[in-house]
Amino acid sequence: MPEVVIPIGPHHPALKEPVNFRIIADGEKIVRLELDLSYNHRGIEKAAEQRNFIRVLPLLERVCGICSHSHATVFAKGIEEIMGLEISPRAQYIRTIIAELERMHSHLLWLGVAAHEIGFNTLFMWTWRDREAVQDTLEEMSGNRVHYGINEIGGVRCDLTPAQIETALARLPDLEERIKKYVDMVNSEETLLIRFRGVGMMSKEEALKYGAVGPTARASGVDYDVRRDDPYLAYAEVPWKVITDTRGDVYGRTRVRIGELWESTQIVRSCLENIPAGPIRVDAPKNAPKGEILSRYEAPRGELAHFIRTNGTDRVERVDIRSPTLANWTSVAMCLVNQNLADIPVIIAAIDPCLSCTCRMVVINQKNRMNVTYMKNKGIALDPGGRLNGRRP
Amino acid sequence: MSVLREMIGNFLSRPVTILYPWKKVPIPDTFRGRVANCDDLCIGCSKCSLVCPAQVITMIDGPRDVEFKGKNIARKKRPQVDLYKCIRCGLCERHCPTGSIHLEHEHAGTGTDRDVMVI
Amino acid sequence: MTDPVYILLYIFLFPGFFFLFAYAFFLSYLDRKIAARMQQRIGPPIFQPFADFIKMLGKEVINPHGVDWRVFDAIPLIALAAVMTAFLYVPVTGASPLAFPGDLVVVLYLMALPTIALFLLGWLSRNVFSAMGGVRAVTQLFIYEVPFFLALLTPAIMAGSWSISEIVRWQQHNLWLVFFQPIGFIVAIVGLQAKLERTPFDIPEAETEIVAGPWTELTGRRLALMHLTTEVSLVVGSALMAALFLGGPILPWTLSPQWLNGAVGFCLFLAKTLAILFVLSSITVATGRLRIDQLNDIGWKYIASAALVQVGIVLVINFLWVTP
Repeated sequence: MPEVVIPIGPHHPALKEPVNFRIIADGEKIVRLELDLSYNHRGIEKAAEQRNFIRVLPLLERVCGICSHSHATVFAKGIEEIMGLEISPRAQYIRTIIAELERMHSHLLWLGVAAHEIGFNTLFMWTWRDREAVQDTLEEMSGNRVHYGINEIGGVRCDLTPAQIETALARLPDLEERIKKYVDMVNSEETLLIRFRGVGMMSKEEALKYGAVGPTARASGVDYDVRRDDPYLAYAEVPWKVITDTRGDVYGRTRVRIGELWESTQIVRSCLENIPAGPIRVDAPKNAPKGEILSRYEAPRGELAHFIRTNGTDRVERVDIRSPTLANWTSVAMCLVNQNLADIPVIIAAIDPCLSCTCRMVVINQKNRMNVTYMKNKGIALDPGGRLNGRRP
Repeated sequence: MSVLREMIGNFLSRPVTILYPWKKVPIPDTFRGRVANCDDLCIGCSKCSLVCPAQVITMIDGPRDVEFKGKNIARKKRPQVDLYKCIRCGLCERHCPTGSIHLEHEHAGTGTDRDVMVI
Repeated sequence: MTDPVYILLYIFLFPGFFFLFAYAFFLSYLDRKIAARMQQRIGPPIFQPFADFIKMLGKEVINPHGVDWRVFDAIPLIALAAVMTAFLYVPVTGASPLAFPGDLVVVLYLMALPTIALFLLGWLSRNVFSAMGGVRAVTQLFIYEVPFFLALLTPAIMAGSWSISEIVRWQQHNLWLVFFQPIGFIVAIVGLQAKLERTPFDIPEAETEIVAGPWTELTGRRLALMHLTTEVSLVVGSALMAALFLGGPILPWTLSPQWLNGAVGFCLFLAKTLAILFVLSSITVATGRLRIDQLNDIGWKYIASAALVQVGIVLVINFLWVTP
């Protein structure tokens, strides 16, 4: 077959959220691709400029469902630093516990989705069954399974009772045993290894050059984790390790995420057992002084950065959200070239894409765009029958 | 083969599905359900209306006598909540000074009439 | 045997088409239920495959622009007719009354027709995903068909006949063929899984990669008939395995009343096909999907060589057994 244009998205069973790839494939090998990210744009950054600090946190939480606590915490952390507030240790520990529980539920979700992308639906069902334990814990602590709403400027909204701590600790041994089983499965299950090994290779230099963050970069040997290198919340007081891997392919990323899953259970256990007593919030002033801050956080997908500028009122003047998936898309575009067509969903799923976090308005360069005349000149075949996407060009 | 062992183990044991509505899922006490207001505690300060991020609470007329800090005072306004648009964030409950507006244990009833969902 | 009423009842009622459809729905239900229980879910109720069939028959048929709708209507019918005919030669309660020497070859040919039908559907759909899916289906056919035929050739060599009913009768006097040819049995099971296009070989229908492949443009009654073809192929495949390797529906000794012989044979048929279905379902649950080039690797390196080894062993056994 000659070179064909294959549209992946915006509607496609491999994608959980709309994104548009136009892939030029030669038989089963990929030659080039074009990326369009603007399908989930909702204007949140503009809407955040019109809400005061109490009302803006639920809005920013709803940027993404899976990493909702990340967005709320990084914003609250930034504003508190501008205001010069000192948060009580108990609030820091509660925020850490919820953050690590969120990381656990996100990585378990990712493991199921990656297994589903290679047709291994059994692992998908099992990981999502175990994720229910984490969701139940989060529901007991905060009142909701996603969008926990536990953050405020100045601390947390509600406290952890001893009964909640006990039930959470009682769920942990089961989870740890299941995670050990998943480590075993990922290391020994043949079809998983065959589909993940050697796919989407990215060396350390390429990872640094294209700005990959999070488990995607750590799997290529880049030893950087915001929790250790720029500590916040309670991470400096709890013993934990950064997981890296040298393989650089999808299998390496799987191992990094499962390793982080294990580390998160240890952090949660340590925080729950050693949580200090004290108040859970301090009174925050209504207005924030004038200032700019770049607040960083290690979301489950990588480094999340909020740039916040305040101007002395009770609203922000500008908040700019640089989510980790936005940084990882260039590495996907780079990894996909010369790979097999059947590996596209695997490589896309390996960066754990969250389009809701990412979306930007896309300005299309009309001169260099891949339209029909361009394709005809290059000899790229339109779909059999001479029509493009079913319409006469 | 850990996968095979797990498969056979699962085959011989019960499924984990909870067959709703014959069995109900246990809901914790902290669950954030629908909004409800106690008329005899509410002093109509409109703080809930000011903090609501989705702007679903409006203050309407509702004259009544309320006991507040040992005295009986006459208040004029009460909050009206559009339950369809409420996002159940809990900020009204957090900022209410008397604890009158709160989130119930159940999620929300359904109704055949739009006005049912505005309390 | 030559009574035309008997033949007509055999073909249309039991164990012909009516029983075939009922058993196809039942095996499809069991397949989904076993897979669900292994994943700790509940799974569908027993009438689910039948309900799916009725529902799909009633849905709107959508003809893509520029596609020849008459061919699109005919291809699922041809595929269904092929596998339904193949079932008539498989022994269900005893030897099939329509048996003739060479019916093994006819059954294997008829079972390959649904894959060709899928390729045609994919090619005619004027859709990138369907074309790729069709090409993948035919590539897979080339890869697994050689070891599959070889593995089914060895029972015929050992029994000395090309008729399935003769092979079953041979196993009545000797042991089940699976004891003589374990490698061949494994190769045949793997080949059957590839023919039925189930995980790990559901490459043509890879949902997350090519949006259902050649099945993309099938709607309404075409989809219902094609789906029924898959379910019927499952029955024919399991029955073929049960007859060729596990001894089929015949006891080692004949019981005196004729109807009792038939009833016991039918129970044996059910038990053996259910056992084969359990093995196939377990393979589906335990693995993920392969890539087509990886299947190429594994198919020619390991599966085809195992089949050749098995043929060599059977020829040696036959030589040593027959000559002295």
